[in-house]
Amino acid sequence: MLQGPPTDVLLVDLGLPDGSGIDVIQESIIRWPSCSVMVSTNFGDETHVMRSIEAGAAGYLLKDSSPARIIDEIRSLASGGSPISPIIARQVLARFRTSAGVTQDKVVLPGQVEASSELLSPREMEVLNYITRGFTAQETAKLMQLSPYTVRTFVRRIYGKLKVSSKSEAIYEARTLGLLRD
Amino acid sequence: MLCNGIFARQRQAHHDHPRVKKLSTSFVAAAVLLPSLALLIAVGIWYLQGESQQSAAVVHLTQADWQDADGRSFRQPPASIDSNALPHRWQSAALPSVLPVTAQHPAASGGLPVRTTWLKMSLPARPALAGPLVLYGVRIKTDGTVAVYANGRLVHRAQQNGPLWNSLFTPLWVPLDETEGHAPLTEILIRVEHAPETAVGLSSLWMGPVDALRGRYYLRQWLQRELPATLSAAFMVVGIFAFFVWVRRSHETSYLLFFNLAAVSFVGHLHYYVSLPIVSDWFAWLTANALFWLLVVIHLFLRQLHGRRQRWLSLLLVGVTLASSVASLPFIAILPVYPSTSLLVPLMYAIAVLMGLVVSIVGGVSAHGRSREGLLLAAGVGLSTLLGMSDWLLYNNVINPEGWFLGAYTNAVTFAMFGQLMYRRYVNAITEVEQVNAGLAQRLQAREAELELSHKLLREAALRQSISDERQRLMQDMHDGLGSTLISAIRSVEHGGMNSAKVSQTLKDCLDDLKLMIDSMEPVDADLLLLLATLRFRLEPRLEGTDITLVWEVQELPPLDWLEPSSALHILRIVQESIANSLRHTRASRIRVHTAAGGDGITVTIEDNGQGFDVATALDSAAGRGLHNQQRRAQAIRGKVSWVSNSAGTSFTLWLPLERHA
Repeated sequence: MLQGPPTDVLLVDLGLPDGSGIDVIQESIIRWPSCSVMVSTNFGDETHVMRSIEAGAAGYLLKDSSPARIIDEIRSLASGGSPISPIIARQVLARFRTSAGVTQDKVVLPGQVEASSELLSPREMEVLNYITRGFTAQETAKLMQLSPYTVRTFVRRIYGKLKVSSKSEAIYEARTLGLLRD
Repeated sequence: MLCNGIFARQRQAHHDHPRVKKLSTSFVAAAVLLPSLALLIAVGIWYLQGESQQSAAVVHLTQADWQDADGRSFRQPPASIDSNALPHRWQSAALPSVLPVTAQHPAASGGLPVRTTWLKMSLPARPALAGPLVLYGVRIKTDGTVAVYANGRLVHRAQQNGPLWNSLFTPLWVPLDETEGHAPLTEILIRVEHAPETAVGLSSLWMGPVDALRGRYYLRQWLQRELPATLSAAFMVVGIFAFFVWVRRSHETSYLLFFNLAAVSFVGHLHYYVSLPIVSDWFAWLTANALFWLLVVIHLFLRQLHGRRQRWLSLLLVGVTLASSVASLPFIAILPVYPSTSLLVPLMYAIAVLMGLVVSIVGGVSAHGRSREGLLLAAGVGLSTLLGMSDWLLYNNVINPEGWFLGAYTNAVTFAMFGQLMYRRYVNAITEVEQVNAGLAQRLQAREAELELSHKLLREAALRQSISDERQRLMQDMHDGLGSTLISAIRSVEHGGMNSAKVSQTLKDCLDDLKLMIDSMEPVDADLLLLLATLRFRLEPRLEGTDITLVWEVQELPPLDWLEPSSALHILRIVQESIANSLRHTRASRIRVHTAAGGDGITVTIEDNGQGFDVATALDSAAGRGLHNQQRRAQAIRGKVSWVSNSAGTSFTLWLPLERHA
C-alpha cells in the first residue's frame, strides 16, 4: 500500500494480524514524510501510545469514539494538531527530564541540530503540566491565552521532539553498549 | 595473515607472562645477592691483606730464655736495662709456653709476695729493614704487670695496675722505632711482675714490618674480639625488639624469655670487651654467675619446647645457680670469683661446664622425636659448652696460650639458635596469614554466592507474591464489576428483555469499567490529580453532545504515598460513580470538580446544580446500592464519603488521609 501515492492521514491499527503496527509507522514516515500517522487503539494506554509516538506517529484514536469525534480528530491531525492524554503528558515530561540530563552531561550528538531543540520550551512544558492536571486542550488554551489550535500544534511539536529524543537516546545507549562506533 | 601472526604472538607473550615475571624476579634476586656477597668478601680481603709481601722479612720468635726472682712489692720498671746485668740463671723454653711455677725459696716463704719473671728472646742477625717495625704476639698471659724492652730500652707497658678484663683477648702490638744511627735490634726482653703462685704464659712472637704483620694482627683482633662483640650487640638489639613485641603481646612469654636471654648473654659476655681492671667486685660476680643464669633460662626454654616437666632437674639447676649467685655476692664472698687465684674459681667454671653438658644432653634426649626446635637448642647448648670448655682449658693453662678463647662465640651460637627459632616462627606466621587470607577470600566468595542465591530466591518469591496479589485483585474486580455486569446483560439479552440501545449502553459501561481498571494500573507516582485528570479524560466523550458543563477547579495536592493500583481503582470508581449519578439522575447542567488540601487529609468535592435527593432515604433504599458501594470503597482505602443534597443541588465529598498507616 505504501508503494502508492501518499495520503494526508494514515490510520494504523497496532494490532494488525500480519505484523507490528510500529513497523508500518516507521516505514510510512520514511516513504510518506508529509503524511500524518494516526494510531488506532482500544484503550489509549501509555505503553502503546508512547511506542507509536516514538516511532513517529502524530496522534492516536480510541476505537470506541463516536463517529463525529473520529472525524474531528482526523481533521485536527491533518491540520497539524495532535491529541494528548494526561498520562501521556506525564510520560513525555518524565522522558524529557531524564534525556535532558543525558544531553547536558554527556555528548552532543551528531545529527542533533542544537542541544536546546532537544529540550522542551517553557511554553511546551506549561502545556504538558496543564494537561497532567486534567485540563482539556481548550481550557489550557484559555489559561495560556492561546487558541486551542495552537495548543494542539504544540503537542505535535512535542511529539516530534520525543521522536528525535528517543532516537538520540537509542544512539547514546548503543554507543555506551559498544554497538555503534563514535 | 600478517595480522594473524601478530595476534598469535601477542597471545603467546601474554601466555608466557607469569614465567617471564618469575625469571626476572630470580634475575633481580641474583643481581642483588651476588654483588652484596662480592662486596663483603672484597672488604674482608682488603682488611686482612698484607701478609703476602715482605713475609720473608718477618722473624718468628719461638725460643725464649727465662728466669724469675721474688721480691717484696711491685716496682716501676726501669727505663732501660741490660740483660747481661741479670743473674745468669736463664732457662730455655719453646714458645708458645706456660712457664712452670717454681717453688719459692724456703727462706723467703710468705715474705716475698711478688715474683718478677724475665723472658729474653734473641733476634737473629739480618739486614736492616725499611719501614717501621712492630712486635706482634697473641698474648702474654699473666695476672700482673708487663713491660717490654727492645735492646734494653723500655718500649711498651701494659696492665700497670693488674690485668684488665679484656687483656687476654687483646693481641700484643708493640711498634719498635728502629731509627737510623741506632744499632739493629738484637734482643727483646719482657718483664712480668705477678703473684708467685700463678703461671706466666707467652705465645710465640713475630717481629717484622708493620705492613707484613698487620693482616695477622687484624685477623686475630677481629675474630677474637670484634666479631663476637658485634654478634653480641646484635643479639641484644634483637632481644630489645623481642621485648617490645612482648609489650604488645604480653601473653606470649617466650618473647620476654628471649629478651631475658639476650640481656643475660650480653652482660655475661661483656668481660670480653671492657678494658677495666679486674677486681673482685659486682662485675666479677655478674660475669661469673651469668653463665649459670643463662643455662637456667635455656633449660626453661627447652622445657617449654619439649613439654616435659623435669622437676628435679629444674630444682637442681636453680638450686646450684642460687647457691653460686648468693655465696659469691661481693659482700658475702663465701665463694671467690675471678681474679682470685683460689682453686675454687676454676672449680666453679667446671661446674658451669658440667651444667651445660647436663642441660644439653638431657634437653637433647627429652626433645628427641618431640621437638625439632628443642633438639636444635640442645645441640646449641652442647656446642656452647664445648666452646666454653676451650676458655676453661686456656684459663687453667691446660693448652698453650696461643689458643682462641672460643667462649666469646657462645653468644653467637645462642643468638643463632634463637634467631633460628624466631625465623621459623616468623616464616610460619606469614605462611599462616597467607593461608588464612586465602581461606577468608574463599569463604567470603562462598558467602557472597550464598547471599546472591538467597537474594535471588527472595526476589523471585516477592515477584511471585506480587503477581499473585495482582491477579487476585484483578479477579476480584472482574468478579464484582465487569463480570457480573456482562453476565446480567447476557441473561437479559437471552430472555429478550433488553433492547439493543440498552445492550449497547451496558457494553459501553463495561468498556468504561475496563478503561478504569487499565488507568488504575498506570503509574501515577502518588499524584492524585493525575489520576483525576485521567478520569476526566475518559469521561470527556460522555459529556460531549450533552448540555452539561464540567467545571474543573482543581488545586495542587500533596503526594499520596499510599496511592497504588488497588487504591487508585477505588478512588476512580468512587469519583466516577458520583459523576455518573449527577449525569443520570439529577438533570444537572453543571458539574463542578474541586480539590483541596487541609489538615491531615485532602478532599475531592463534586457538586451539581441538579434537583438533589434525600440522602437518608437513598441510603436506606435498594436504589442506594451505588452510594453503599462508594462508602464501602472509601472505607477500604481509609477514606470517607459524604453527601449534602437539597433542591438546589448535591455536593459529594471524598476525604482521603495524607498518610495511611497499616
